[in-house]
Amino acid sequence: MNLTIRERQPEPAAEPGWKGGANISGLTVSRRPPGMWRNGASKFIRNPYAVAGLVVLVCFIILALLARVIAPYDPAAIDLLGANLPAGAGNHWLGTDELGRDILSRLLVSGQVSLLIGFSVAFASVLIGTMVGAVSGYFGGWIDVCFMRLVDVMNAVPLLFLNILILALFGSKFSYMIIVLALTSWMGVARLVRGTFLQLREMQYVEAARAIGVSNTGIIVRHLLRNSTVPIIVTATLMVGGAILSESALSYLGLGIQAPDTSWGVMLSNAQEFMLIDPLQALYPGLCILLVVLAVNFVGDGIRDALDPRKQTHPSRKGVGIWRRNSSKFEV
Amino acid sequence: MTEYLIRRLVQSAVVMFLITVLTFGLIHSAPGGPTKVFLSPGLSQQAAKVQAEHLGLDRPIPEQYLKWVGGLLRGDLGYTFKNHLPVGDILWPTVGHTMVLMGAAWLLSLLIAIPWGVYNSTKEYGWSDQTASFISYIGFAMPTFWFGILLQELFALKLDWLPLSDMWSLDKEGQIGDLLLHLVLPVSVLTLGFLAGYVKYARTSMLEVLQQDYIRTARAKGIHEVRVVYRHGLRNALIPIITIIGLDLPILVGGATLTENVFNWPGMGRLFVEMALAREYSVLMAITLVTAFMVILGNLIADLLYALVDPRVQLGRKGGSTA
Repeated sequence: MNLTIRERQPEPAAEPGWKGGANISGLTVSRRPPGMWRNGASKFIRNPYAVAGLVVLVCFIILALLARVIAPYDPAAIDLLGANLPAGAGNHWLGTDELGRDILSRLLVSGQVSLLIGFSVAFASVLIGTMVGAVSGYFGGWIDVCFMRLVDVMNAVPLLFLNILILALFGSKFSYMIIVLALTSWMGVARLVRGTFLQLREMQYVEAARAIGVSNTGIIVRHLLRNSTVPIIVTATLMVGGAILSESALSYLGLGIQAPDTSWGVMLSNAQEFMLIDPLQALYPGLCILLVVLAVNFVGDGIRDALDPRKQTHPSRKGVGIWRRNSSKFEV
Repeated sequence: MTEYLIRRLVQSAVVMFLITVLTFGLIHSAPGGPTKVFLSPGLSQQAAKVQAEHLGLDRPIPEQYLKWVGGLLRGDLGYTFKNHLPVGDILWPTVGHTMVLMGAAWLLSLLIAIPWGVYNSTKEYGWSDQTASFISYIGFAMPTFWFGILLQELFALKLDWLPLSDMWSLDKEGQIGDLLLHLVLPVSVLTLGFLAGYVKYARTSMLEVLQQDYIRTARAKGIHEVRVVYRHGLRNALIPIITIIGLDLPILVGGATLTENVFNWPGMGRLFVEMALAREYSVLMAITLVTAFMVILGNLIADLLYALVDPRVQLGRKGGSTA
């Protein structure tokens, strides 16, 4: 049935102007309108904040991936003779801490921990939230009531308290941390997906799908979930930042990453103890957290602005000017 | 109204009940079970058995749960393991201290955020608006405790203008002036955190209101712009702000944890972390329940306030016009 609509013309490879569009009297005319993703990508690229965020984030990811290779010293190596060196002293670019450990190396390795936790927590909680929200929004009834009460319960307890309680009870392991953070941050996604599903399940195309015998799972995955990808992606991105902040907070309080492992939060709690001796030590890890989270949030906002069809773009005065000048050329 | 109130109360009671189950279940699913959690370490097997019997830990779990909830209903929050002090004696003063800190920060941030947001809505994308959105980006991305540490280093250590931490200086306990000095740094940290969201809320809800027909009517009647914005606009824009503030109450109660730990403020959040590290589970359970209770109460009050401020909202009528 779709064949007649989607059938593509064979590409005339010899003509140069035919790559992706027709060449009519010097103007490239697209053969079909660009899809949501390509449209979004071109909007994203034109957003300076989003691009800057992406560049910073990619830099941090590369540094984290290569941390063990490029770190000049062993991050856990203690050198009491070279403790509390200022920045730049004796080949330590950012100096050493109270035990003589190289701060730059520790920052790099911490970045690994923070990014790993950020991305895996965001992924896991989006997975949980989407499943709960999808089931709850699609089926409704008592399942919905149960899940929404659960969300109410989770929202009534301050999440930091819940995280601390669980980590104190079960011990602070790296894997526990990811599980705990994921289990306490899926509620927003669940609400979001449920809301979208409640709207979408009344749509005619869902009714049509059901009429031709598509199974519940098929409708959820292929028809409903696909139409809620954009808000899910945006929330997932913003969640990475939240997870990094939570990790640093828990580690700062002494309940997250434990020595000899390190993270930016651990470094900050160390730095506070020794701030009389070396006040600059507190600056670097916090700055790293700020930069990463800011970058992730900019990317998330950029994606939202790029993919949301309802979002009205405010063209800049300069942009309107360029557009006017260009369009006047064509009028001639 | 009464019917709605009853329904909401029942709903809140159910959520509260589920929270007690969650907390109790968490403690009882800890590795080694409650026996390991509740009993003092290093006891001989015989002594451990005696202590377990004394604490009622050999009873079936539902019975233990009922006994615990029964105690809670009578206001008995249990005892600490270390010195066998009543949990309430430790907990209640810290609740007060947290309230002082959070209340001050919250009031200050509302006093700044609402006028600022309203002003920004009248001058969209102006420099003041840009500054506010810059602050909110930073506020959402910055670890609050890091900001606290930086403030300590600058104003307490380097400039020596303000006290480093704690609630009172050693010899000046109870003096208001001293308390205010100690409040400055933690309140600034918390206020920045609140401002990040509130200015945005105030601006958005104001922008929405300013597009309404009655604002155009007011302007058409020739009412002065200031009066249009602050009387006709602001009053209506406050409604969504109140809801969001109600939803923010968990942050209000639990959000000071980090700040309290940075500034050694003797509040609930610091107590929670301290007790978590000392594995005093009865205190942890009590704090979780007390905060949950306050949050549920806060949400309830916010809902009722919502109805009071906006006469269009008719609580309790199913499918009725909630505008």
